[in-house]
Amino acid sequence: MLLEHYSHSIMIDRNLCTGCVICTLACPVQAIRVRDGKADVVKSNQCIDCGECLRVCPHQAVRSMTTKRQDLTGYKALAALPSPVIYAQFGDMHTPNDVLLALKGVGFDYVFDLAVNCEMVFIAIDEYLRRNAAPRPMISNFCPPIARMILKSYPNLVPNILPIEVPRETAAKTARRRIAEDRGIAPEDVGVFHITPCAAKVVSIMRPVGVDKSNLDGAIAIRDLYVPIKNALNNIGEVEDEWILQKSSGVGISWAIGRGSVRGLPNRRTLSVTGVKDVIRILDDVDAGRVEGIDYLELSICPGGCVGGPLVVENKHVATSRIEDLIEQYGVRSRVDTRKVVRQFEQTYLLSSSRFHAQAPEPLDTDLRRALEKMSRIEELTSMLPGKQCGACGAPSCRDLAEDIVRGNATPSDCVFIRVKELEDACAGHRDGAES
Amino acid sequence: MAIEDPVLFRRVFKITGGDFQNAGSVSKEIKKALKQLNTDAEVIWRAMIVSYEAEMNVVLYARECEMTLEISQSGIHLVFDDRGPGIPDVGLAMTEGYSTATREMRERGFGAGLGLPNIKKTSDHLEVVSTVGFGTRLDIRLMFPAAVSKAA
Repeated sequence: MLLEHYSHSIMIDRNLCTGCVICTLACPVQAIRVRDGKADVVKSNQCIDCGECLRVCPHQAVRSMTTKRQDLTGYKALAALPSPVIYAQFGDMHTPNDVLLALKGVGFDYVFDLAVNCEMVFIAIDEYLRRNAAPRPMISNFCPPIARMILKSYPNLVPNILPIEVPRETAAKTARRRIAEDRGIAPEDVGVFHITPCAAKVVSIMRPVGVDKSNLDGAIAIRDLYVPIKNALNNIGEVEDEWILQKSSGVGISWAIGRGSVRGLPNRRTLSVTGVKDVIRILDDVDAGRVEGIDYLELSICPGGCVGGPLVVENKHVATSRIEDLIEQYGVRSRVDTRKVVRQFEQTYLLSSSRFHAQAPEPLDTDLRRALEKMSRIEELTSMLPGKQCGACGAPSCRDLAEDIVRGNATPSDCVFIRVKELEDACAGHRDGAES
Repeated sequence: MAIEDPVLFRRVFKITGGDFQNAGSVSKEIKKALKQLNTDAEVIWRAMIVSYEAEMNVVLYARECEMTLEISQSGIHLVFDDRGPGIPDVGLAMTEGYSTATREMRERGFGAGLGLPNIKKTSDHLEVVSTVGFGTRLDIRLMFPAAVSKAA
């Protein structure tokens, strides 16, 4: 596979990119620049894989690097672990169980209800909070860009990252073992795939943060399986007992939306924040010690939670409403055996094996004196630039252009206003020269 | 020290009293600036805490303020120079729990009487000069860890 290219969740197709700067301006960490007329993630170590660029690109030039259906070859058995978001993609007529059965119709030999694992994780979080009084708030680590953002921008909050393994990883570990035993095949001959609304999952699988290897073989976009699932749904007849694949309550299903922790952790003081801008704001507040009395902070980069992921088909508000209906229908009493989960917790089976270390951003200079001189130069240049924040130079703001210039990656004449002035001056000089 | 430790970076910010919309933006800019330096995360965090406290004092009590950020090889120097009511008894204001905040301010989550004591505790040096009816000047210093300034 193209493992070496999995440094980001996205790829920009240079043939489709028009160099319009929409992604450059949308990027919450200012990692994209338009250079030579094409967008590029030039500050790749700044990228947190949030997928904003994918969401805003009007030319479909930003592509997610998810696993495609044709890549599912070379395995003796295929397993699908779909995000509960998938239950909200096909309207009210199809039950979660129908959707899981349809996935079998699409070609997966085994399909698991990942919502069950989400339910287990809520119990594990509760157990963790019970056993560890500090620090507070603990911050969820289930949305991949969140940990990346904390490691890059909030080094003081690294100890607050919740060390509970994400549901898809524990589910994949169990699934692979069971299928290998069931079929009498080697664990590596089982292909275990996450079906995801999220652009970042594929990076967390191919290039996990803080851990050597993921238990998954890849992640497939929900939208890439939408049509085959839809077709398979039309062919589902009477459902017999042994075909009941959906085993979770509404608690696990609530994982798909923000505020899921309200159902999953009813006895804890929780706070749920979604959407990249609001996430940055709350992390600033937590970092400065301005958020008190909260046990658990549930963060999701996508607005509205995972239903707002860039790789879905259904409108996120419609999907949220559908998930709310399902929560009510399947109840808010967990169907998972708490004692069993606590036992697994004690055996560290549900604890994350990731070890997190803060990643300092690239300083302007390793020498403090030179770094400060460069900072002064950035100030000076910023005040010289027109301050229109138009992005025409390819940088998201005048200050970013100033920094690019100081770092040696741009020149003042990349600014159209400065260039016009330079050309006018040159013309005037030429005219004066001709007259005298 | 002043001679061997020239100011290598200076930036001036304006803070407006009562502007809750932008409250916290100056401390955020300071954090952003400091992160571009190869410096200790703890100092950055302390600078952010003290600048936020001081910034909130301006938003809550003063009319306007000019804030100067200066960085040298030895550390960070923050001066908050505000036009406002001033502090009648600086010694009392430095006592934890003392506050003149109104009920409205307290409802917004401020006015626990920790502003100045917190700045003093978190910084390496704090000097408060205040004239009633004119304004207050906070002079705050944070030193870089010795290892950082030596390496520089």
